[in-house]
Amino acid sequence: MVPLARKTLVYEWRRFLPAMLAVGFAGLLQLLQIALVLGIFGSTSLYITGSSADVWVGYPGTQNVGSGRSIDADVESRILMDPAVTRAEPYIWVDGDWRGPRETGGVSVFVSGIDTDAHGMMFSKVLPAALRARLAEPDAIVVDRSALDQLGVSIGQSATINGHLVRVVGVGSGLRALGGVNVLCSLDTARRLDNDSEDVGPTYLVAKLRDPSQAAAVAQRLRGDNAFGPYTAWSAGDFARLSVLYWLFDTGAGAGVLFLAGIVFLVGAVITSQTLIAAVNGSVREYATLNALGVGVAALRRVVLEQAFWVGTLGLLGASVLGIVLMLLARSQDVPVVLNVPAALACIILVMGLAAVSGLAAMRSLRRVDPATLLR
Amino acid sequence: MQRPATIAATEQPALRAIGVSKAFVSGNLHTQVLDDLSLDIKAGELTLISGPSGCGKSTLLSILSGLQKIDSGRVQALGSELGQLDLRALERFRLEHTGFVFQGFNLFPALSAFEQVELPLNYMGLTRDEARRRARLSLEEVGLAHRMRMRPAELSGGEKQRVAIARALAKQPQLLFADEPTSALDATNGQVIIDLLHRIAVSHGTTVLCVSHDPRLVEHADRALAMEDGRILSDRRLVAPANDSHGTPT
Repeated sequence: MVPLARKTLVYEWRRFLPAMLAVGFAGLLQLLQIALVLGIFGSTSLYITGSSADVWVGYPGTQNVGSGRSIDADVESRILMDPAVTRAEPYIWVDGDWRGPRETGGVSVFVSGIDTDAHGMMFSKVLPAALRARLAEPDAIVVDRSALDQLGVSIGQSATINGHLVRVVGVGSGLRALGGVNVLCSLDTARRLDNDSEDVGPTYLVAKLRDPSQAAAVAQRLRGDNAFGPYTAWSAGDFARLSVLYWLFDTGAGAGVLFLAGIVFLVGAVITSQTLIAAVNGSVREYATLNALGVGVAALRRVVLEQAFWVGTLGLLGASVLGIVLMLLARSQDVPVVLNVPAALACIILVMGLAAVSGLAAMRSLRRVDPATLLR
Repeated sequence: MQRPATIAATEQPALRAIGVSKAFVSGNLHTQVLDDLSLDIKAGELTLISGPSGCGKSTLLSILSGLQKIDSGRVQALGSELGQLDLRALERFRLEHTGFVFQGFNLFPALSAFEQVELPLNYMGLTRDEARRRARLSLEEVGLAHRMRMRPAELSGGEKQRVAIARALAKQPQLLFADEPTSALDATNGQVIIDLLHRIAVSHGTTVLCVSHDPRLVEHADRALAMEDGRILSDRRLVAPANDSHGTPT
């Protein structure tokens, strides 16, 4: 078989270049958008994904990590009674109002009171051991490096949260939050910062399991008991998903991003199909001749679809190279971008879908392949 | 023509049009292109249809080759009623029985001469080796053995048209249709092309139907039809010229 589609693509690449660029840039937009969404909204589950706990216990109906209510501290003993659990620790969330030494006005902060023990689970993946140990000092706090300016403070300086004095003992990275600033401190410090007299117990209790794969089953088991007042349990994965989905869909932000993704796809499809149609139209007389010689329109359509496939593949290749460069650049500038395998796959499917849709549109122009027109 | 009259009378025509009419409608404008036209075309001959542009000769060619439907009448090609075939069946018929040569060559810029000829054969269900053997033979027959690897951009107009003829010829069609095959070429190249078409009719027994307003072609045809306003004005059977460049016995 003479590889007509590929030979034409190689020989007349200038005609197909606009289509490749259209596919490539549409793919690049999708890729970076997904990476940004994952980066930004992924930070809403940082408390879970940055920690090594397998099971989370909190107030029933909690929609995301930031909106928990206090539960009875005695639930901890109930958790520890479960044979699958090896360790449990409290986690206190306090919404705070920050007043820095420089004039910043009020800054909304999310105080995370964590176990400062070397085996502590909270933030174990993002907080270095030495910094964690320093949090044991009274009123010591750690913030993300990128938040120092926003808080108007530098390392060693003091500020107040909810009217209580705190001191910045160090900065970490990867601790950024959405809609506020994360402040890490010890459980004791957090209790002092909490002005709400109704908060008597921890906001959450987190547990480590002997076998992390049992998380869903253990969470299910812990849920059944209400002996210590209202509480419920999630596996870490479920709770992280809950938090991200809350931000994606229950706030307008996620819907906006999805809408934008749809627009990018639509615009990409229109531009790509138009350029591909133009490229196909350039060969329409040759296709008509083949049809006169008896080559069916179906076979000609396959040639066009194959061309669309190669246009998509080459566009994707370009988008990947450029995307990786841009993501490295973003990372170096502390822009939160994250790309995982499912997201990359989704991107590939979107781009190839885009090429396929464009190819189908271009195939319509084969309707003009009427060999009789060559004889007029 | 020295065929015995008895045989000629019983011979089935390769192409037959019976009372064919065809009109084009564009807005309110109704143009009768063919008007109750009947015609038989004999197998193994080079038949030339000439006439001024707009006389309907190209339409007649596309109707006889199954590229276009008619409004009324009947068209038979190789014994098949073309009017009864659907689009698929017509494609199938063209694939198996017809070759085309157009004024504009219509070669794929990306393919070499050899690939241009091989490409349609790929769709005929031939083995790769058979397709390549036929492509090579055809290109040799049109005298392009040494130019097989060239792309259209590297070929002259006459060579391009010879590639187009080889492409049609490699299918070993019983019917070969040529639409103004020489009008884009100079005199010498036009001569080469018409010689080739005539030789194909004689040596392969192919029915060649050629549409042209090029007066140089008339002397090479076995039969010359003149058309005007959708009707055949004259039908001349030409005695083979004594100075036939190939000395082909007739």
